[in-house]
Amino acid sequence: MNETAALIAALNTSWFSSGLSEKAQTRLAELGRRFNAEPGTELFREGDTSDIFGILIRGRVALRTLVPERGDVTILTVEPGDVYLWSSLVPPYRASSNGVAIEAIEAIIFDGAALRAALREDCELATALYPRVLVAVERRLHATRLQMLDLFATEQVKEW
Amino acid sequence: MVIRTAPLRGHRPALEGPGFLARADLQILIDLLREEGRRVIGPTVSDGAIVFDEVTSLDDLPRGIGDEQAPGRYRLRRRGDERLFGFVVGPTAWKKWTFPALVALTRASKDGHKLSFVPEPPDTSPVAFLGARACDLAALGVQDTVFTGTAFVDPDYAARRARVFIVAVQCTNAASTCFCTSMGTGPEVESGHDVLLTELDGGFLIEADTAAGRILLEKLPLRPASATEQYGAAATVAAVRARIGDPVPAAGLHDRLLAQLDNPRWAQVAERCITCGNCTLACPTCFCTTLTQTTDLTGVDAVMYRSWDSCFSPGFAKVAGGSFRSRPRDRYRQWLTHKFATWWDQFGSSGCVGCGRCITWCPVGIDVRDELNAIAPAVPLVPEVTLVEPVAATPNDFVTARVVASRQESVDTTTLTLTGTDPAFAKGSTGQFAMVALPGFPPLPISISRFLPDGIELTIRGAGPATKAMCAMLVGEELGLRGPLGNNWPLDRAVGRDLVIVTGGIGLAPLRPVLHAIVADRRRFGDVKLFYGARTPADLLFRDELERWGARDGIDVSLTVDRAGPGWTGRVGIVTHLFDQATWDGTNMTAFVCGPERMMQATATTLAGRGVPASRIHVTLERHMECGIGLCGHCQMGKYFVCRDGPVFSIGQLGDIFGREGI
Repeated sequence: MNETAALIAALNTSWFSSGLSEKAQTRLAELGRRFNAEPGTELFREGDTSDIFGILIRGRVALRTLVPERGDVTILTVEPGDVYLWSSLVPPYRASSNGVAIEAIEAIIFDGAALRAALREDCELATALYPRVLVAVERRLHATRLQMLDLFATEQVKEW
Repeated sequence: MVIRTAPLRGHRPALEGPGFLARADLQILIDLLREEGRRVIGPTVSDGAIVFDEVTSLDDLPRGIGDEQAPGRYRLRRRGDERLFGFVVGPTAWKKWTFPALVALTRASKDGHKLSFVPEPPDTSPVAFLGARACDLAALGVQDTVFTGTAFVDPDYAARRARVFIVAVQCTNAASTCFCTSMGTGPEVESGHDVLLTELDGGFLIEADTAAGRILLEKLPLRPASATEQYGAAATVAAVRARIGDPVPAAGLHDRLLAQLDNPRWAQVAERCITCGNCTLACPTCFCTTLTQTTDLTGVDAVMYRSWDSCFSPGFAKVAGGSFRSRPRDRYRQWLTHKFATWWDQFGSSGCVGCGRCITWCPVGIDVRDELNAIAPAVPLVPEVTLVEPVAATPNDFVTARVVASRQESVDTTTLTLTGTDPAFAKGSTGQFAMVALPGFPPLPISISRFLPDGIELTIRGAGPATKAMCAMLVGEELGLRGPLGNNWPLDRAVGRDLVIVTGGIGLAPLRPVLHAIVADRRRFGDVKLFYGARTPADLLFRDELERWGARDGIDVSLTVDRAGPGWTGRVGIVTHLFDQATWDGTNMTAFVCGPERMMQATATTLAGRGVPASRIHVTLERHMECGIGLCGHCQMGKYFVCRDGPVFSIGQLGDIFGREGI
């Protein structure tokens, strides 16, 4: 199996790319490369320019935010198959949290500028990909709302 | 006063018990029926098959003829004996005389601008059916309900049906296609007949079931049947039952089938099905019709005919914009799900009587039994749990129990192990709760988190004064109990299926006994997944058990927390995030969900997205309860009292009141 075919196979394990047309998968695989990191690796920092779009294939990534006097709070962990970094697709291309590999990870990453250029040129690819980016964002938004409700708290939240 | 009854017509007084009719004397029965002015319809040999037609003499009956049937195959054969009913069912059904394939309903005529519609009178000339089997009688019963058992009565059917006298015949043979035993319609004839024959070597055992039948019997040259003959007849029918077995276990078939609307097998069977509609024409219960108008050349007189239609016809579900069931797979699914599932909802019975005609007469040999077993496989039968009678059922009464252990599960949650509980508690069922009382505090409903041989465990979160007092109880102290109350998780109905358990926070407590029950007999279930979310890692309850269930007991345990510090390397996020992008198919799953209502709603939506049917997503509800037995009114939710009708409900049962504001 050549590298593109191997990348397509790896991408297919993710909901994000499985079901894309063969053409779109091939194009995506051509743009992607493998990335591995050891546990504890800081992958990106909140506020930094983000030039990577990343899909996690194996391991776990924690998305954290630093809160003064509370330290690094994990907001969400990203599991295999999900997008762990998309800020390179959304201006101003800055990461919105700190990403840390809390297990050894294997990912497929894309150069943000190259991916954006490909999406601008290839409407078919853009039409197929952007809705999936939206789904990823919508899931995060929905999950964050529920998390915000703090449903398991003992005390009822006081009315304002 | 002497009450005089009219003298009975006939040759001799009625027999006690079954009589014996010599084979040749069956001619007398036919003659007597004909003397009453009836056409006698019975089995004849025609075109290489046994078909029903008018019979006038014994010579018209298929003497010594048997049949061989298999999917898509039917052959007559010589039996080598003199039996007149030595075959099973053929392609014709009796509905041909009660619900003919073509009837004229109305004549319309035009006189200038004036129109008239005149209903056609039905054929009401008396007939007798000779040789109806148990499945045939059941089929007539099914059509009786369809045509005369609901608000509108079909006048043509009612008139034709009322004129029928039935001489039934017990089955002494079974075809490979028979499955009346599974449908509960045979092989024993039990009702729906006037006279019943069981064929023996030299003649028939004969019994009457109606007044008309008894009058007929009195005119026949009968002798009392011997004990040997009676035993022989019963043993033959019993052997038929044993030979058929139970090819389509029917328990739960309605729900099982309706849960499989998206099964890929529908498309596979449709590749073989040529949608010819033979199955619906041979079926003794199919009742769909179509109306056609024919006019004379002048257009003055028109007749409206009703003829059998079939849901397999391409135009059956057609409107101007197209057909609602354009694909063969849609039509096959419509037929099968109507026959075996939605018929129950419409008419209170199965639409199938298990005669096997659709199997034999399918030109490509599709066996409906195989399709049912593949699409909606039977689950091993286990008896439904009967809930135990609670002790101290009414709010004025309590039994006591003693705390023998207290274990702090998290900063605010404690598990109390109680002993000396009334034996009723040991017989309680998963998901049930107890009303728990300490003097000076209002009694509270607490779900039972473990059943022990001589006690129970209660897991309590100290959220208010009463629960905080309970959490602070010391070993040796006593508390008051009523229960076990409420219903249970329908674990028995999950047997043989994959099970997904989704819970958050203290919600694991009422599900803990479910996990104990699964672990105790793990093989009864398919894949079991537990998704458990807590506020922080320190709030996860039963941590030792969670680890054991995952590591040793074959349960796929996934934990998540809403927030965590850097030391936590497990998952962070809401519990639905654990499976909202999973690829598993939920159509065969049962789900048990317990947690805050908002979380259960999100979970139900996500599970529905995975294909889990609403009827198999179960939640347990929390409401203000004071009595626990549906008398205080506090826990009302729509038409339910949560304490009495719940606390476990399916999403399908709750419908749109689940999660609705202000209910």
